[in-house]
Amino acid sequence: MENLRLLIPEIVLSAMALLLMLAELFIPRRHSRILLHLALLASAAALGTLGLAASNPAVYQGAGSLWVVDPMSLFFKVIVLAATILVLMLAVDARRDDDAHLGSFAGLILLASAGMMLLVSAVDLLMVFLSLELISISSFILVGFERGDIKSAEGALKYYLIGAFSSALMVFGISLFYGATGTTHLLKPVPQFGYASSALFLLSTLMMLAGFGFKISMAPFHLWVPDAYEAAPTPITTFLSIAPKAAGLAMMLRVFTKLIPHPALEMTALFSFLAMLTMTVGNLTAIRQNNIKRLLAYSSIAQAGYMLIGFVTADAFGREGVLLYALAYLFMNAGAFAVAIAIGNEEGYELEAYDGLAQRSLGLAVVMAFFLLSLAGIPPLAGFVGKFYLFGAAVQSGFYGLAVVAVLNSVVSVYYYMRVTYHMFFLPPRATAPAQMGLYLYSGLALAAVAVILIGVYPEPFLSVVKSSAEMIP
Amino acid sequence: MPILSLTTFLPLLGGILILFIPKERKDAIRWVGVGSTVAAFLASVYALTLFDPGLASPAPLTLQMVEKLSWIPSFGIHYFMGVDGLSLPIVLLTTLLSMAAAIYSMNIEERVKEYYFWFLLLEVGMTGVFCALDMFLFYVFWEITLVPMYFLIGIWGGPKKEYAAIKFFLFTLFGSVFMLLGMLALYFASNPHTFDMVELARSHAVFGREFQIIVFLAFYLGFAVKVPAFPFHTWLPLAHVEAPTGVSVLLAGVLLKMGVYGLLRVCYVILPAGFEWFLPFLVIIAFINIVYGALCAMAQTDMKKMVAYSSINHMGYALLGMAAISPTGFNGAAMQMITHGLITGALFILVGVIYDRAHTRDISAFGGLGAKVPVYAGIMSLTCFASLGLPGLAGFVSEFLCFLGAFPAWKLYTALSVSGILITAAFFLRMLQKVFMGPLNEKWAGLGDMNARELVSVLPLTVLTIFLGLWPRLILDIMNPTLTAMTKLFPSLFQSVR
Repeated sequence: MENLRLLIPEIVLSAMALLLMLAELFIPRRHSRILLHLALLASAAALGTLGLAASNPAVYQGAGSLWVVDPMSLFFKVIVLAATILVLMLAVDARRDDDAHLGSFAGLILLASAGMMLLVSAVDLLMVFLSLELISISSFILVGFERGDIKSAEGALKYYLIGAFSSALMVFGISLFYGATGTTHLLKPVPQFGYASSALFLLSTLMMLAGFGFKISMAPFHLWVPDAYEAAPTPITTFLSIAPKAAGLAMMLRVFTKLIPHPALEMTALFSFLAMLTMTVGNLTAIRQNNIKRLLAYSSIAQAGYMLIGFVTADAFGREGVLLYALAYLFMNAGAFAVAIAIGNEEGYELEAYDGLAQRSLGLAVVMAFFLLSLAGIPPLAGFVGKFYLFGAAVQSGFYGLAVVAVLNSVVSVYYYMRVTYHMFFLPPRATAPAQMGLYLYSGLALAAVAVILIGVYPEPFLSVVKSSAEMIP
Repeated sequence: MPILSLTTFLPLLGGILILFIPKERKDAIRWVGVGSTVAAFLASVYALTLFDPGLASPAPLTLQMVEKLSWIPSFGIHYFMGVDGLSLPIVLLTTLLSMAAAIYSMNIEERVKEYYFWFLLLEVGMTGVFCALDMFLFYVFWEITLVPMYFLIGIWGGPKKEYAAIKFFLFTLFGSVFMLLGMLALYFASNPHTFDMVELARSHAVFGREFQIIVFLAFYLGFAVKVPAFPFHTWLPLAHVEAPTGVSVLLAGVLLKMGVYGLLRVCYVILPAGFEWFLPFLVIIAFINIVYGALCAMAQTDMKKMVAYSSINHMGYALLGMAAISPTGFNGAAMQMITHGLITGALFILVGVIYDRAHTRDISAFGGLGAKVPVYAGIMSLTCFASLGLPGLAGFVSEFLCFLGAFPAWKLYTALSVSGILITAAFFLRMLQKVFMGPLNEKWAGLGDMNARELVSVLPLTVLTIFLGLWPRLILDIMNPTLTAMTKLFPSLFQSVR
């Protein structure tokens, strides 16, 4: 019990989540938005406790029995909470059928976040599995939250079936791992090199990789992504495209570059291939999408592919690249989805809804163009700095083929990102009224825009944070 | 005073100011737009008065008006600006052409606010590219030019504007991402790691020959698309023709120079062994550009397309001069950049003038306009003569220097390339004949001559064309010391052409 203090942020968050679900019963439906505000407060409080942990490493950082709190896990916990806060802000102003069950909605988001925060700290495969299940089960419900919408139900069901399948795969992998090594605890000195040639050990690693791959939408395990993303309420799409992906990547960074380093297993070529496949498949499929949510869904697959570069190099530089990219990705993707919500509230999610946006709301169109250009990696925006770091890591470690595939992918991605600007700037508008936005949506959008430009123009403070956050225990 | 930053960022200030003007007040927006380009031009002229051409030394890159601030210390990246005899004339060309194009663009009626915002942002990127001396900064400015250009072509362009805009964007980005990889390779190969062009130039000796060749090719892809060097030229006719007049001026006048400038500034100075290896291919590409570009231009019936293809031909001269690695050749190449910018910039404006009135650019649709619009006919003829290389006008001097420089080293290709001049003369004269001579096509009886706006935008270019033709030392005196020093940088390399 003595290292329970390491878990204070998670405890705060989970307690608030349960409270919110309970509070729903006592708050009249017309005031139920207050529950979203309470969830925002809870996330902010958890963020505060993270600040405490960062400022007092001697007391609030260290190794627990199944988890560690180190600079890297703190960094990703901040990313997860920032995503949660942004998503809750978007959720306040997103259109819903009714305001029923907002308490469960907010509570589930918080529970999923708590799961992600546990995941980035996990050093035991059992813990990894449990936190992944906490995330998945909350997400299944959230995807199907629009109960009146048959599509939402379909997407949730697909997501659930594939999610259950991937969990089974992962559990099987973990049990094989236990069979090969006699433990699920990754901090125990595992004689990796002795097992590298053991078929059992390799098989278990591959099955775990496949299971994790589903969660971070790595090709060829990405097929559930567009359906689930399209079906989910848009704030949840935003959430799913950022937070679980960042958390899953963080966990994989810990497992596959530190605890069971893939170079020792001679699986680097496999990782390199998976990275190339993920970005290429994501980008090529995105070209043909006419729905903004599906387009951004495929784009998010490609973005995960770029981040996998940091796994391939498996050194500090690559790891820092992943951290930086996750930070940039948080803001640019949340920003793009915020615009999608602003437009989607009134006009739906087909690309035609964006026709002539520049002549209706120039500011909104320009900001959306910025987010898309940032996702494409055009300087001086955040996405470019992230790509610069990751591509730099690839070049430094001599993965030239990977670097070339990655830059060619950025060129391809410009084509479909610019399809949105084509609708916004080049086509005549269908309506003349400017797009309407609520205060929360507006603030979320402004926050994301400022961050995307700031990280792009003056990246130094972010780089130094990333550098000091790339350390792991042990 | 940080004069280079002022030159670069004054247009940005204007652009931000424009964002705060309501879009109904079109005239205010236009005047702020033009005013910002004028301010940038004046700042660059002031930089010229501060510049001392004699300071060039054999050390790589002797720079003046240097500004160096730490920007991203984690990577040793600096905000590093400076000019020498190679870049300062191009900076002046950029601000001058931007001013001319901004004045010409005052006739734009549609979405004026957005137009001038993107236009000014484009000027920031263009000026920055020629002042930046840190690779990272260079790349940032390089890419900044892409986005405004995409919007300028895509919103205000001709019938196929959307396709032209995305093709331009993808082509250029395709080239520049390889440049990014080249940059990263240089960074990790240098010791200590740096993006500083001056440091990299000093340490070129530590890069092995194989390494230099590969990195050279990566950079070459980026620059060749911009030049555009055969076979990466296919975006050019489309983009130039579809772009609105003011933007065509900048595309041809400045953006193409980014490629040639990059070859001299980065490839030659930092990767001399790669450059040496590539020279035989460069000469062949220059030859193809000259002859193929000219032949393509000859086959056009659309005036704007003809001028666009003639740009490919003219950039071929610059590549040919560069391949000589001699003071004469380098001076020719650098001056060709300036004269082509002035002359072709003026040509695009003039083609725009007639298109605005007649709504056609078909050469055979006109006839006998010489008596109808004498001022226009005079300026157009003079500019065409300058472009085809008539002695006494600016184009002749630079083309002559390119050939003169290249001949001792590449006799065969230089001799073959001279035919390009002949073809150029043929298609320009044919156009002049069909448009201005013969009986007046009655359809154009109501055609008016040039108005004040058009004259103000084109006359500075015309005057400079005549002036530089008569007194080329005006510009050669600025460039020559730097370029001569550059040719002496690598005494042991380039033996085949010395």
